[in-house]
This record gives sequence, C-alpha cells and structure tokens, in this order.
Amino acid sequence: MSVKVEASHDGVPHNKVMIIGAVIALVSLYIAVIGHDLLHIDYLAFFGGIAFIGALIWGNSTIKKLCSYGIGTGVPSAGMLAFGSGVIALLFASALGAISVWIIPVAALVIALIVGLILGWISNSVLNMKIPVMTRSIAELAAVGALALMGLGVVAVGCVGFNEIATLELLGVTVFNTSYIGAGVIAVSFMLGAIALQHPFNACLGPGEKQDRTNMLAIECGFLSMIVMAVISFAFVSMIAAWISLIIAIIGWLVSYKKYFALSKRDAAAWLDAKPFVDSEEQ
Amino acid sequence: MSAIAAKPGANAGAFQPVASIIALVIAVILIGAAYFLGSAGILAGGALFVVQTICLIVLGTALIAFGVHFVPVGGAPAAMGQAPGIATGVAMLATGAGLAGLFGGAWAAATFGTGFGSGFWLSLVGGAIGGGLMMAITCLMVNISYVFGMGIPPASGKVAKDPITKDTQAAYKSQGTEGHGLPFISYVGGVIGGLFGGLGGTLIYVELLDFYNAALPKMFVGETGALAVGLAGIFAIGIFLVIAVLSAYNITGTIEGPHDPKFKRFPRAIVAAILAGAVCGLVALLVVAAF
Repeated sequence: MSVKVEASHDGVPHNKVMIIGAVIALVSLYIAVIGHDLLHIDYLAFFGGIAFIGALIWGNSTIKKLCSYGIGTGVPSAGMLAFGSGVIALLFASALGAISVWIIPVAALVIALIVGLILGWISNSVLNMKIPVMTRSIAELAAVGALALMGLGVVAVGCVGFNEIATLELLGVTVFNTSYIGAGVIAVSFMLGAIALQHPFNACLGPGEKQDRTNMLAIECGFLSMIVMAVISFAFVSMIAAWISLIIAIIGWLVSYKKYFALSKRDAAAWLDAKPFVDSEEQ
Repeated sequence: MSAIAAKPGANAGAFQPVASIIALVIAVILIGAAYFLGSAGILAGGALFVVQTICLIVLGTALIAFGVHFVPVGGAPAAMGQAPGIATGVAMLATGAGLAGLFGGAWAAATFGTGFGSGFWLSLVGGAIGGGLMMAITCLMVNISYVFGMGIPPASGKVAKDPITKDTQAAYKSQGTEGHGLPFISYVGGVIGGLFGGLGGTLIYVELLDFYNAALPKMFVGETGALAVGLAGIFAIGIFLVIAVLSAYNITGTIEGPHDPKFKRFPRAIVAAILAGAVCGLVALLVVAAF
C-alpha cells in the first residue's frame, strides 16, 4: 500500500504550511483569550474564525500528504478521524483551564498530538498500514481538529474556558441546558468543521491540483462554516460581537469565493460563459 | 486512487503479534491508571466505578470495530455497478448506523434511566435496533435503486453460493465486474453491522452519561443533567468516529460482508479498538477530574 499514487509538487512545502497554519491558529486564539480575560470584551470573538481557517490550511496540507498514499477509505474519513480525536483533546484541555485559562490552546495542541500519535501508531503498526507519513499525519490531524473546534467555539461563545462553554448566564441564573455543550451546539460545530476540513482536497484532488486553489477553497469553506457559527453566536455573545463576526464571515466568504472562482477559471482547460439559448422561431 | 486500483500488499491482512501485544499492554496500563485515579479521589465515584466505566467503554469500542466489518461497503466501484455493496465509504456508513443507534439509545436512556436495572438493557436494545433499522432501510433502498434504477441483479463476486440462501451467484454476475448489487448475505451483514454499531455506541454513551451524572454535581451547582447528556453525546460521537475510521483503515477500502475474505482481519481491528478506546475513554473521564 505504500506506493505514492499522485505527487503534489507545488509551491510551499508542507512544513512551512504547517507552521504558518499553527501560528495563525494559536495567535488568533490567544488574541481572543486576551480580549475575553484581560480586556473583558467579546468583540474579538471573530478571531476564533481566523484560528479555524489557520487550522484548516494546516489540516488541508496534511490531508493532501496523507491521502496521496492510497489509504483506500476516501478523503472524508481523515476529516472525521481528525475531529473525532480533536474533540476529545479539546474538551480535556478546556477542563484543564481550571488551572489557568492561558494554557488551554497550547494544552489542546499537546494533548491532541499525544492522542493522535497513539492513534497513528495503532493504524501504522497494529493495523499494518505501512504508510511512512501515517503516524505524523494522524497526530497533526488530531491537533488540527482540536484547534479548529476551539476556533469555532470561540466564534460561538467568545472564550475557550470550560465554564464558558458549559454554562450560560440567563437573567442572572446559571443554566446548563442552553449552553454550548448542553444544547448540543458543539455537535453542529463538529460537523461544520469536519466537512470544511475534508472537502477542499476531496474536491480539488486530481492531476491538475494546485496548492493555491485548494487553499483558497479551504479558506472559503472556513468562512462558510463561520457564517453559521456567527448566526449561532447571537445566542451566546453580545449583539455587537455577533454582528461583527457575521459581517466579517460574509465579507470573507464573498471575497474568497470570488478568488476561488477566478482560480478555477485559471486552471480549467477551457471556459465557456453560458448564454441563454436563442429561440430559432423568433429569428 | 480508486478502490479497485488500491490492491493490498501480500501481508496486508496479516496479524501483527508484537504490535498487538504492546497495544494490549498499554491498554491495561491505562485502565490501571484509571483505577489509581479513581482510588485517589481524582475521578469521581470510587476506583471500581471508574474501572467499570472505562472497561465498558472499551467493550463498546470493540463491538463497534467488530460491527464495522459486517457492513457491505462498495465505495466508488459500487456506484458504477462494478462491485457489490453500498456505494459509499466505511466511515460514512458506520457513522450513519452508529448515530442512528445513538439516537435510539439516548431516547431510551432519557425515558427509562441508565441504572443497571431495566433502563440499561432497554437503552442498549434501543441503540442496537436503531442502528440495525437504519442499515436495513439503507440496504433495502440501495437494492431498490440497483435493481429497478440501474437494472442489475444482486450478485456476489467473492462466493459461488450465497451462504444463507444457497443461491448460485456466478450466472448473474456480469463479466468484468466483481459482482454488483446487494446479495442476501450482504444485506444480513449490513443489518448485523448496524446492530453491533448501535449497541457499541450506546454502551459508550450510557457509561459516560452515568459517570458524568456522578461527577458533574461536584463541579457545578445546579441542574447539570443536560450538560452530562451533551458531554456524553459528543464524546460518544467522537470515539465512535475514531473507531469507525480505524476499522475502515483495517479493511482498506471495500468489503462485501461477513463472507468476504477481508472479514477475517477483524481481530486486528478489535486490538486497535481496545487501545484507542482506552486512550479516548481515559481522556473523556479526565474531563471531569477534580484537579
């Protein structure tokens, strides 16, 4: 199985993309934490969306690396594995926030890498996949899943701590059944993230795959998921913060969609703009 | 990168004794760690309750891994009528069956409770029936679209006679294909896979729900039932997806059902599920640990 099926030699090497994505994700998450815990405002919730997109760019490159070996189960399975292991690491890291809120993003990254390394070792050694990049890729994907889910959570509730995602203050009363976890919003962000992670490479793979086009589709999927989370965030954060997130998400989606469309036209073999049929009887 | 092109290597199905023993030892160490965390009071409910919870989570993951191997997965070749099975990937099918089962089991758990009385067993049966029902409906509709939509008879490419109905297969198999449609044995396999998947997923959910119901009131003041349901649900989904994808990696692509030679690989997936379930289960329990 360890025959590389399709090579994707292009532009930026994977390690560089990984570092860029991880730095974008972590810095954006820390900006959101600064906003919530130092400045006590939630207008910076939209930085969660930026973190989500940073994680997507990293994960997209990892999926490309992993799936260029024939894993035989399709690209979507990688996205599901990433978020399945990511959500476990994310919630544990959020619970560790009882020690200090500042360790949560880094703790999520480290715990996800540990869980992912074990799962990667299982698939490579116990399940005998014999793919050289398997262990590293699954560890990376778990980290991507954890950071991306944390980003979506920040868009929705404005913070990363366990108390904030587990409880909601309604008219001065702390309730649990309408919180981010209690109301099941985390399941929505799980699917939004998993589909946004697996879709770009699944849609663009093939002989003419170009890195900038795939990345632009990842950004577009990220903003599209962010629109939904921004709408959900009206229930959790202040009205102004939710509107900021929503407007940024819609503008980002429009811009990235137009750019992706232009890149698709660039890479297409031919492009015929459709025109309405002319009715022959009228001529 | 089609499933036909992805031919497994010569020893792709071989059991890995050394790696498997290492995996089982690590799993036992993790369960032992859960025992000590429980006896030290870091995890709620006492040492035996913690060990019981994590052992039943591991049992649930093993059931899922076993069940996934029954499900007839055809992938892209099945969509073109060139291979038997349902025309999608393992992860998607197992997720559908498992989540349908989880809904059934969660409803039963909410209605009848989760204690070791009738509620526990009713939840498990509800989950199993939910998963099996979802797969039965899927297999039926898949066969209707194959037979009446694409005009192909169900025929297996891996066996000469259906093991249950003893129907001959070769005469109905088109040349150049590996079989097509869903033969009776694949249909039965799909329903059994759904039963096991729903059962395993619900077992994980019920155990986590019991544990969180015991632990969360010590962390928060108020009615934490909904929070326990949310946490247990998202963890059950996460663990289920991890196990389903690992089992899919074990199958590497397509499988026809319990009569397929690839079915014999399931012990490997169960070993993998035991370790993965122990890791994910321990982390899931640690979320509500008292640090």
